[in-house]
Amino acid sequence: MSLLAISEQAINGLIVSAIYALTALGLAIIFGVLRIVNFAHGEFYMLGGYAYYVAVTTLGVPPVLGVATAGCALMVLGGLVEWLLIRPVHQGKVDRPDEYAIMVTFALSILLLNLANSVFGPWPQRPQPLFRGRVEIGELVISGDRLAAAGMAVLLITVVLLALRFTWAGKAVRAVSQNRQAAEIYGISVARVGLIAFGVGAALAGLAGALIGPVFNVTPPMGVVPAIKAYIIVVLGGLGSIPGAIIGALILGQVESFATILIPDPSRALAYKDAYGLLVLVLILLVRPQGLFGTRERRA
Amino acid sequence: MTQRDPWKAATVALLLLAFIGLPLLGLTEYWIYTLTIGFYYALLAASWSLLVGYVGRISFAQAAMSGLGGYVSALSIVYFNLPVVGGLALGVLLAGIIGFALGLLTLRLHGAYLGLTTIAFAEILRITITAEHGVTQGSRGLRTAALIPGGTRLDYYYLFLAVTAFCLVLMWLLIRSRIGLFFQSIREDEDGAASLGVNVTLWKAFAFACSSAFAGLAGGLYAHFVQLIAPSMMSLQEMGFILAMAVIGGFHNVLYAALGGVLLQTLLEALREFGQWRLVIFALVAILMLRFAPNGLFGTLAAAMAKGRKRHG
Repeated sequence: MSLLAISEQAINGLIVSAIYALTALGLAIIFGVLRIVNFAHGEFYMLGGYAYYVAVTTLGVPPVLGVATAGCALMVLGGLVEWLLIRPVHQGKVDRPDEYAIMVTFALSILLLNLANSVFGPWPQRPQPLFRGRVEIGELVISGDRLAAAGMAVLLITVVLLALRFTWAGKAVRAVSQNRQAAEIYGISVARVGLIAFGVGAALAGLAGALIGPVFNVTPPMGVVPAIKAYIIVVLGGLGSIPGAIIGALILGQVESFATILIPDPSRALAYKDAYGLLVLVLILLVRPQGLFGTRERRA
Repeated sequence: MTQRDPWKAATVALLLLAFIGLPLLGLTEYWIYTLTIGFYYALLAASWSLLVGYVGRISFAQAAMSGLGGYVSALSIVYFNLPVVGGLALGVLLAGIIGFALGLLTLRLHGAYLGLTTIAFAEILRITITAEHGVTQGSRGLRTAALIPGGTRLDYYYLFLAVTAFCLVLMWLLIRSRIGLFFQSIREDEDGAASLGVNVTLWKAFAFACSSAFAGLAGGLYAHFVQLIAPSMMSLQEMGFILAMAVIGGFHNVLYAALGGVLLQTLLEALREFGQWRLVIFALVAILMLRFAPNGLFGTLAAAMAKGRKRHG
């Protein structure tokens, strides 16, 4: 394989990783604070794509503002979902809270997927991209819309990481992630932090969907595969670990990018692309369930 | 569970009689077909509730296990010239064995981690069957032999009813036996059960095996009834549908889950004019049930009726 082909695969891997990381970061923040895996994360991502489509194509908002609109819309939706469905888990209002949280978010994903199917129809939509044209580095050609999406994703990740480190809300999120009881004793409103975490987590998935929607297509099932990737990434890095989510995304992006060129038959190689990550997920859960950076938990 | 409850026995007998009598009341072929598919979902939903409701082990691989049973049966007929019943049996056996293996592999996993592993397993299976189109015809779907050569809709209806009823009796016997107590002890407090001498490892894997074998049987029957199977029957969307059926019916009881399956499949056909909105409504009802009535429609109904009888009797 030539150097050009290798760097092309690596760059594709990096671009994909940036979007995966943004989605997975949202999942990691939600898990860290609320101790639940949001099985509807892919549908938040998909709704972000549709929010961008409605803002840009239907209402004529400029693309950059369209991304912001999608983020805000999903933050509101995430907050609502937390308030209506997730908060009862921590208030002892449901029996078997673990099972309830898994099943309710899974049912929510089915609800949102079919809602999008009913409202927007099953056919794909292609909103205007953030940036047209292409970028050439020597012989290497990268399409501009992908690069712009990845660049925005990296920017957003940086903002979130800085916010987690330096703002009051960010510190509260980290405190609750580390120790719920202790955070509460120190006067943090755990309920409010939960609301913020779920809202921000949903917004990050929505932003990822809004960024990549115009690159590929916006369709009702578009979130299924990225959500599974996000689960793999957070398990790879350790559920709830934020650096773990980013490193997990980098690993998965490269594994997928290079594993694809290992099988000579191209149609089968493409078909199996999504299976590699799943295999990684199963192996990690079986061998090291706490992930690379996670702390061991007895039951979750 | 009260063991000698005449009301409960009477209700079950009445239900069975109603299903036996329904086609005689001049039901059209279309509705007989719909109910037959309803029995397929009833068996799937009941097998899922056996695992989730009684043992407390979450699995999102039920639709995949059904597909596995169907594909093994269909392919063994094509490649080994097995008779249809032999193919079905092989499908059930393999689904059971793979279920046992999955149960063993995931012994240490709980809750969301278990859910994720079963999703990964289900998706790997679906992707493999789609990708190996040389063997399975991929997403175009695989044509397969009829279960009853030259059988009428009515033949299939009674066969599916009989098999579903038989499987429900098997599940009920299992739940009522010592094994059923082991299951429930694992659900309530795994460590406590282990300390009292319950072989937690064995029974967790065994529950997975049983649940998968029933799903495999359902899938095999379905494949040879419709005579066409496609990987879409293993999708997570289909799994969501099974979950909605069991939750709406009541997933802590195999009979209620089965009734949820028949009910939702019938409604799905009756409300055809609403298109995709039906699934939106079902998912919404499932969410509301989980939140406010975890015993499901039939569980809540049964509790209300028992209360009413106590008041009047």
